[in-house]
Amino acid sequence: MSSSLRIAKPDLDQLVSALTSRYRLFGPVDVDGSTVLREVKSADELALGAALDGSVKAAFFPQTETLLTYDGTVSEAPSGRDKPTAVIGARPCDARSLLLLDKVFGTGKYWDPLWQRRHDDSLVIGLGCSAPLETCFCNLMGSGPFDAEGSDIMLTDIGDAFVAESCTDKGERFLKTAYKSQVQRPSQADLDKAGEARSKALASLAPAANYSGVKTALAKLWDSALWDEIALGCLSCGACAYLCPTCHCFDVQDETAPGTQQGRRVRIWDTCQSALFTKEASGHNPRPSAKDRIRQRVMHKFSYFVDNYGEAACVGCGRCIRLCPVDFDVRVVLERVIAEGRRTKDKERGTKKDVRHAG
Amino acid sequence: MPDNPYVPIPVRVQNVRVESDDRTLRTYDLVFADDAEPFEYLPGQFCQLSILGKGEAAFGIASSPTEREFLRFTVNRVGTVTTALHYLKEGEELGLRGPLGNHYPVEKFKGQNVVLVGGGFAFTTLRSLAAYLLANRSDYGDITVIYGARRPGLLLYRDELTEWEKRGDVAVHLTIDEPAAGWDKAVGFVPTVTGKVRPSPKDAWAVVCGPPVMIKYTMPVLLDLGFAPDRIYTSLERRMKCGVGKCGRCNIGPKYVCTDGPVFSYAELASLPEGV
Amino acid sequence: MLLKDKKADLVIGYERGSSKRRARPVVIRADKDVDRLIFDDTCGPSLVPFARKALRATPLGTRVAVVAKGCDGRALVQQIAEGQFKRDQVVMIGVGCNGVTDHRRGASGEKREASCERCRYPNPPVYDVFVGEPVAAGTGDEFAGVAEFEKLASADRWAWFEHELGKCIRCYACRNACPMCYCEECVVDQTNPLWLGKSAERPDTTLFHLVRALHTAGRCVDCGACERACPLGVRLALLNKRLEREVRERFGYTAGLSMEATPALATYSEEDKQEFML
Repeated sequence: MSSSLRIAKPDLDQLVSALTSRYRLFGPVDVDGSTVLREVKSADELALGAALDGSVKAAFFPQTETLLTYDGTVSEAPSGRDKPTAVIGARPCDARSLLLLDKVFGTGKYWDPLWQRRHDDSLVIGLGCSAPLETCFCNLMGSGPFDAEGSDIMLTDIGDAFVAESCTDKGERFLKTAYKSQVQRPSQADLDKAGEARSKALASLAPAANYSGVKTALAKLWDSALWDEIALGCLSCGACAYLCPTCHCFDVQDETAPGTQQGRRVRIWDTCQSALFTKEASGHNPRPSAKDRIRQRVMHKFSYFVDNYGEAACVGCGRCIRLCPVDFDVRVVLERVIAEGRRTKDKERGTKKDVRHAG
Repeated sequence: MPDNPYVPIPVRVQNVRVESDDRTLRTYDLVFADDAEPFEYLPGQFCQLSILGKGEAAFGIASSPTEREFLRFTVNRVGTVTTALHYLKEGEELGLRGPLGNHYPVEKFKGQNVVLVGGGFAFTTLRSLAAYLLANRSDYGDITVIYGARRPGLLLYRDELTEWEKRGDVAVHLTIDEPAAGWDKAVGFVPTVTGKVRPSPKDAWAVVCGPPVMIKYTMPVLLDLGFAPDRIYTSLERRMKCGVGKCGRCNIGPKYVCTDGPVFSYAELASLPEGV
Repeated sequence: MLLKDKKADLVIGYERGSSKRRARPVVIRADKDVDRLIFDDTCGPSLVPFARKALRATPLGTRVAVVAKGCDGRALVQQIAEGQFKRDQVVMIGVGCNGVTDHRRGASGEKREASCERCRYPNPPVYDVFVGEPVAAGTGDEFAGVAEFEKLASADRWAWFEHELGKCIRCYACRNACPMCYCEECVVDQTNPLWLGKSAERPDTTLFHLVRALHTAGRCVDCGACERACPLGVRLALLNKRLEREVRERFGYTAGLSMEATPALATYSEEDKQEFML
């Protein structure tokens, strides 16, 4: 049932205008050599060739977002029912991250209407990754450069054109309505080229290291000196968290216009690497040192998230390595965790002695 | 479940009183504003109190669901939000999100003995629990309250404590850290007093709330008395923002204090890396 | 050798990173690991924040050796002048630097950073040992770029800032990578009172960068670590360079050249120009 189309690159604008008529469209845009996600109106704004520096999450979970406005009392609370959002050019790692964030925002005792409505109503057009970078490791996190998970439509670059394939019913419906006439089907040669791009991309990725032992190792390493070592290589800034497609922690602040009662309550991306993240009003901080905080970051992604949602909160996009000011490499951390875990004996927990010491 | 868990409902201050002799603690009885729908809750749950322009902070509910006329909170003045709360006067409105989090397992306590051990201004949800147990007195066995503060003027809900002492169906043991004029009750830290009171672990549950150091030294006392780790409960505090399990800062290991807690058994905490 | 002879307890340098275009800071504790150390034009990050970290994490009396190219050497000197640590707590391993490149802008050796182009101090002013040969300092006006920028109309200059700061995501990589941003508690992190908003929107980001530029005025050594650290390429150093010129013209002070001189903005003289006062 999935249909495939050939979209010549000069005709991309047709797709973009079909998208913008129904959606707020976000896509990769070049800004002085960085590729960032921005709202776009036409195809010539798009920079589809480069790896996206900022992640796609921003289309659904903006860095600064109003939870409510007030003027003495609550005046308005956005519901997330805006014009639907579409994203074009999401790499498979990013598209997959949206499904991981669905678990955070859309499941549990409470749901987050702002994220969930936006993502539920959205259309995600993925772009297969023909040239993975040295820092890419999606293959080690259970996915691949042409994985369709999280995309409604998947584009494959075949040089002068894209092959577009629907991956969901929603994607299928969109392609059918957007291309009522003048549908160009890909030729066998086009499909061959697409297939070639896929196998070339796969082959270019580093051979699959095995991270399956990470969680078991982490369970043994809470008190390990490894964290002190790892913390030495980190500046404790927020670059990785803000560029990460699965990091979702946020702060909430009230901003009031001076001299008035008018203002807004906003949520703003936050990072667990900041000392303030857990500092309480009393001054007490349960995670006072850089070591505590880097451990939290690794544990959250590779242990706690697995406990709570069944998967690691990492899609292997590699931004945290590629854009880290000091080349902190999470792959090296995971390898060290596994090696250290092998050297460390299982700690028995829950005995009476441990119970006492835990307090 | 509210459609948007980030939007506070309007509540009004019915009554304010200064709770401690150093005036850093105030107790607020709140009522739902006219257009807000009252909610159901159980002892141990908390709410986010919200002052527009200042922000939100989490507070355990100090009233019992059996007290249907008001929601009670005791606020310690430490930061921006709590300072703004201290300026609130009777009749003024504020926002509230809740009830949030889990609660003390009052169903499990039925037909059993309950020991409440509290320290300082963390007695709020224990007051909720005690009032709940006393309102449903026939459902429970022996009830013991051990509660301490640095000095008499820092004990919360003093009038009520006096009433409980008079009731005869609840054993109340109050203590202060150092001797004070006019104080004829116990003197000493809560863990020590707990050791002296020696509550029996038989068919009993213990609930401990207080500053971290008090909890740290009370737990071994209860364990030595024979309380099993899964029969000791405590309530935790962490810096929170959303209160609904999304913003990611109040975790203890894989558990979020806001949604998985704030009430945890000691057995649960012992299995968590950052526990207590 | 330093480690073997117990002249230093640990060495902070660079090792090859995730690709041949990247170097990452490394802490070396044993003589056998010294071979890991490299120095070339990929060694961009300032090691000074790492030296501070190491000094704080180790017992008093620990001697930390730091690989110091010209700018990092100056930053260490400036921190000593500001009383942050004592000269004998660090062993400076001087290296001459031909400029570093930004790994994101292409292959190693392709393009030097703006700060490196105008650098006049490729060798550290102070060192304990020097590895390799000193590099000849560049000539010409180091403030030429500033002068060029000043020729623009005021509206154009502001537009440039708005464009640059519009890229900022408030991750504070610039601040944390900066050798001179060492405040225990940064004003932008304070919440009681909240001096400036925490959003990534223009007024808040602008204020953050202005505060940072003013607080590093007369202290910044123009190492460019802030620009290289920025994941989104915000060009930050030009404003610092402008303030550097201001301090030099007014007070005759250049940061990071002397451990004894009192920092310009930590002193007051009756002769200081005061024409800005009403």
